[in-house]
Amino acid sequence: MTDLPASSAGSATGVSEPATRATEKPMRERLVRLADHFKREWQIYVMLAPMIIWFLLFLYKPMYGLQIAFKDYSIFRGIVESPWVGWEHFETLFNNSQFLRAVKNTVIISALSLIFGFPVPIFLALMFNEILHALYRRTCQTIVYLPHFISTVIIAGIVITAFSPSAGIVNTIIGWLGIEPVYFLTKPEWFRPIFIGSGIWQEAGFSSIIFLAAIAGVNPSLYESAVVDGASRWQMMWKITIPSIMPTIIIMLIIRIGNLMEVGFELIILLYQPATYQTADVINTFIYRQGLQSGQYDLAAAAGLFNAVVAFVLVMTANSISKRVSRTSLW
Amino acid sequence: MRHLTLASALLTSMAVTTPAVADGHLKIVDEPLELTIHMHHKRYPAYNEDWPVEQEARRLTNIHLKNATIGSNTDNSGEAINLLLASGKLPDIIGTSRIKDVVNQYGPQGAFMPLNDLIDEHAPHLKAFFEKRPDIKSAISAADGNMYYIPYLPDGKYGRAYFIRYDWLDKLGLDVPQNVDEVKAVLEAFRDGDPNGNGLKDEVPYFARQWEELIRLVTLWDGRSSGSDTYHDFYVDGGQIRHPYAGEGYREGVKNLTEWYAEGLIDPEVFTRGSSAREYLLSEDLGGMTHDWFASTSGYNRLSSEIEGFVFKAFAPPASISGKRIEEHRRIPIKPDGWAIGGTNKHPVETIKYFDFWFSPEGRNIVNFGVEGVHWTMEDGKAIFTDAILGTGRPVNSQLYELGAQLHARGYFQDYGYEIQWSNEFALEGIALYDEGDYLIDQFLGVAFNKDEQAVYDKYWPSIRTYMLERQQAWILGTGDVEADWDDYMADLDKMGLNDVLAAMQSAYNRQYGG
Amino acid sequence: MSAVVLKDIYKRFGAVQVVHGINLDVAAHEFVVLVGPSGCGKSTTLRMIAGLEEISEGSLTIDDRAMNRVAPKDRDVAMVFQNYALYPHLNVADNIAFGLRIRRMKKDVIARSIIEVAEILGLTEYLDRRPADLSGGQRQRVAMGRAIVRHPKVFLFDEPLSNLDAKLRAQMRAEIRRLHNRLGVTSIYVTHDQVEAMTLADRIVVMNDGRIEQVGTPMDLFMNPVSTFVAGFIGSPPMNQFTGTLESDAEGASVTIGGARISLPDTVPSDPGRDVIIGIRPEYVSLAAGEASSPVAIKLDLVEPLGSEALLHAAIGEDPFIIKAETFGDVSHLSGLTEVHVPAAMVKVFDAATGRVLNRAAG
Repeated sequence: MTDLPASSAGSATGVSEPATRATEKPMRERLVRLADHFKREWQIYVMLAPMIIWFLLFLYKPMYGLQIAFKDYSIFRGIVESPWVGWEHFETLFNNSQFLRAVKNTVIISALSLIFGFPVPIFLALMFNEILHALYRRTCQTIVYLPHFISTVIIAGIVITAFSPSAGIVNTIIGWLGIEPVYFLTKPEWFRPIFIGSGIWQEAGFSSIIFLAAIAGVNPSLYESAVVDGASRWQMMWKITIPSIMPTIIIMLIIRIGNLMEVGFELIILLYQPATYQTADVINTFIYRQGLQSGQYDLAAAAGLFNAVVAFVLVMTANSISKRVSRTSLW
Repeated sequence: MRHLTLASALLTSMAVTTPAVADGHLKIVDEPLELTIHMHHKRYPAYNEDWPVEQEARRLTNIHLKNATIGSNTDNSGEAINLLLASGKLPDIIGTSRIKDVVNQYGPQGAFMPLNDLIDEHAPHLKAFFEKRPDIKSAISAADGNMYYIPYLPDGKYGRAYFIRYDWLDKLGLDVPQNVDEVKAVLEAFRDGDPNGNGLKDEVPYFARQWEELIRLVTLWDGRSSGSDTYHDFYVDGGQIRHPYAGEGYREGVKNLTEWYAEGLIDPEVFTRGSSAREYLLSEDLGGMTHDWFASTSGYNRLSSEIEGFVFKAFAPPASISGKRIEEHRRIPIKPDGWAIGGTNKHPVETIKYFDFWFSPEGRNIVNFGVEGVHWTMEDGKAIFTDAILGTGRPVNSQLYELGAQLHARGYFQDYGYEIQWSNEFALEGIALYDEGDYLIDQFLGVAFNKDEQAVYDKYWPSIRTYMLERQQAWILGTGDVEADWDDYMADLDKMGLNDVLAAMQSAYNRQYGG
Repeated sequence: MSAVVLKDIYKRFGAVQVVHGINLDVAAHEFVVLVGPSGCGKSTTLRMIAGLEEISEGSLTIDDRAMNRVAPKDRDVAMVFQNYALYPHLNVADNIAFGLRIRRMKKDVIARSIIEVAEILGLTEYLDRRPADLSGGQRQRVAMGRAIVRHPKVFLFDEPLSNLDAKLRAQMRAEIRRLHNRLGVTSIYVTHDQVEAMTLADRIVVMNDGRIEQVGTPMDLFMNPVSTFVAGFIGSPPMNQFTGTLESDAEGASVTIGGARISLPDTVPSDPGRDVIIGIRPEYVSLAAGEASSPVAIKLDLVEPLGSEALLHAAIGEDPFIIKAETFGDVSHLSGLTEVHVPAAMVKVFDAATGRVLNRAAG
């Protein structure tokens, strides 16, 4: 009902100012149509509202705070009152060789975890799918899901213990082979394999759920048809299962690429040592040490913004490549 | 009104020397006055108005604190204070852990009230305290010369000490090591002599819960590892600010510690063993020597019931190569925790008087011990805990927190008498040992930067610190040679701006401590 | 020589038996349709022939070769599925070639086969498309193509038309039959639609509750159902059925329905007092009196004109009675109808207790 005065006002100006009429009329018509639509379908808009409000409140409003990346931010003064400093924080970052090293490490660790970590849940899902005995399958699944529910602190403890030079299982095993114990967690060259490996160990099982769901969604008659056509289980996996879940794989890959710059930094904080900074220090840990520990929120925001922009470019690129090559895309 | 209260405050301060004056002499206001407070500490994320200590303070001062804490749902005080500041509305009193940096940064912007004039005019006990301890006054002053908070002031000098297995020494026929060479000899004997008698060469001669306590050993070669109770901190050398990791003694120390590490005198897993190192290595009868806190480490002598002859006691700091015996670590006399007055407080005079109340003899007893007659009684002029506290078998400090006493988010002067009453006999013995020699050295109490100094510090220091620690661990682990690398290391530090950071600190230090 | 022989086939899922002993000989080049209501075991039977389900008991031979333990791929059968089972990620040509590639046939042979099959099915211009870009009928044809291309001994169809709309279904039905006439491959076809069964089959197998009710040519089933079940299943609309008691007098056997005496054919064994069900096909009710036909009074309820014919919904007493009558271009003469005539020869008589027919036609 509130639309009525607005539209009549629109028509009034339309009459008094014929010059603007041409541009105003379609606009007005559109508004009127929108109002009609709203009156008819208001339930749908009501249902939409919580989502819109959620987005505005929790995603768009915080973006307002990104501007502190360009300000000399003081919590007490607030965002608006803090003075602008332009690109100063970015200059500080890019003039810092440790930041550049962190960027490099972030990219390397992410890329390696993507290369080695991404296929593992798919393999797991395919393997689970081949287990016919239901109880055995469920047991296996539970076992590999389990690490996901262990807190990062415990995971770090397990990793530290496992790689301990005196009592760790890894050194015990290589000791049998006659190799001297290695203090893995202080060796820069071992940090990435250990970090990526423990990440895979923790998450691969749980991540396989989505691929299992995709496999479960494959029409069973495709397999029956293939059986009649004479396909072996191996051929069915390659020619039916994998192509059928390819859209899921690609979507997950795009999402992973979007998170490429987000390295699980809690685990790094718990596992790294000054001795391994050269391979372990990522953007997030750098920010943690540099910014948050000493309250430099503006600098941290600048680094975070840089991170986000890179991630955005990556995900856009991955999406458009995928759209062109495989006809699958997030949007 | 103002004169009246001033007069009564003066009266109070005069009354200090003569106890048992008429009740009511501590009253700050005639009618009860409510002040709001934000109090956050990970142990008590809100101010509890039912604390017996608060109730007692109400009775005596007529000031009622009302809880107005923001962020009680987090145990991170830094987050809570940021939320509070971002809300823009500060309560009358703000008490939190790590308040110093907050008030020094935002006090000059008007978020907190400068206290100097208020103390001079209205707080006789605080005034008297600062006159006696000008170093503390300097240490808590911001760059603009004003004090913005009243700190929690720990009492008692000793923190960490050298601990060793006396029974192992006896077994191997060794004396308590008196210098660095003897320490080395003892550690080698621990390594080779199978003091735990299990036939395995599994002893860990020197271990530490924090790997930084390994670096602490550079003091045995006249190096330094930190100037305060914070690791890797700057130190003051004859009025000059220096960093321990850029000194010759440090270089010598690291060189030797690298050898010790390579020879197996140091826990090979010292960097990753973590906080459970002491518990594990002592209870498994593996660890020989460490550098750790008096009270908690002495407590491990309870293991003597499980391990035959177990004695793990403090020994005096061994003499360094030049013959100096120092204990680098000590309890810092002043913590960055405490409370401050909000910039919009309408009763600053009453508030500073309330702050002052906790420095009066009566207030100090309440904040240290609880309520007289309930939790403690006066014997020979000393507050002695009653069975209500000592008889429960629970840790005394936890009990006191529950009463609202010994809250570090409150500005108060701790009384070591509270701790001595329940300290382990081995700890007291060790403290007596350390009291015989004068091993403690002066602490660097920190500086308050002005804006330019802060900018220099923020720009260079985190990276320098990262670089120093990387090199340090690499050397100890043997992936670099401190002798060969030293000149390049110093050049790198210079390139990374260490001298600029030192200059900024020096200018702040000179301003603050009148150097 | 029979191409496919099922002998005493049983299927059990755990403790539940779903197929109770099936015997069926399918001749070479024959088109046999298994028809029955859902859950009657027809699909299970087909899947046992394909090898997708294990045979619990009994023997299956194809071309005299025992197949019980032979893997599906070695049975030389091809199957067309209800939902086509096309691989969404492959185009039409690759879908058709899938089975050949699996068998590692030569590339040029595969290419030739694809072209050949595409021509037969009119898919030539769609070879590059993916299933998602095809209409339902085209997808169906691709599914057929995938079966044809392998030149199997037996085609198995599992309700292949049930996902199509009525018009397309009729069209595809004819195409399948034409294809069969052309290729002559032995086919076993499962459907629940009796029209499909009637139009496609050389022989129809009517199944009910895991058993075969009757096997016969479409016309045989239509004219001589062996049971009330087949009588009710085959024919559209189905046969009218009334319960009554056999009477016998000088004029022969009869049953009284709603007060009308209906003469029965003389093939009905004389057994007065027996409870029976009589069946009258809607098509064989005449509006005019004829020789050896019984007049029946009806209450006409509704006339549904279908064009050349009309369905009359009527009742004898309380029992519903459907009559299919010629319209001769006009339904007005039907609306006042009060009496019809039932020719005795067209009445089927079933035992009320067993449902089996009592007057089975000779031969």
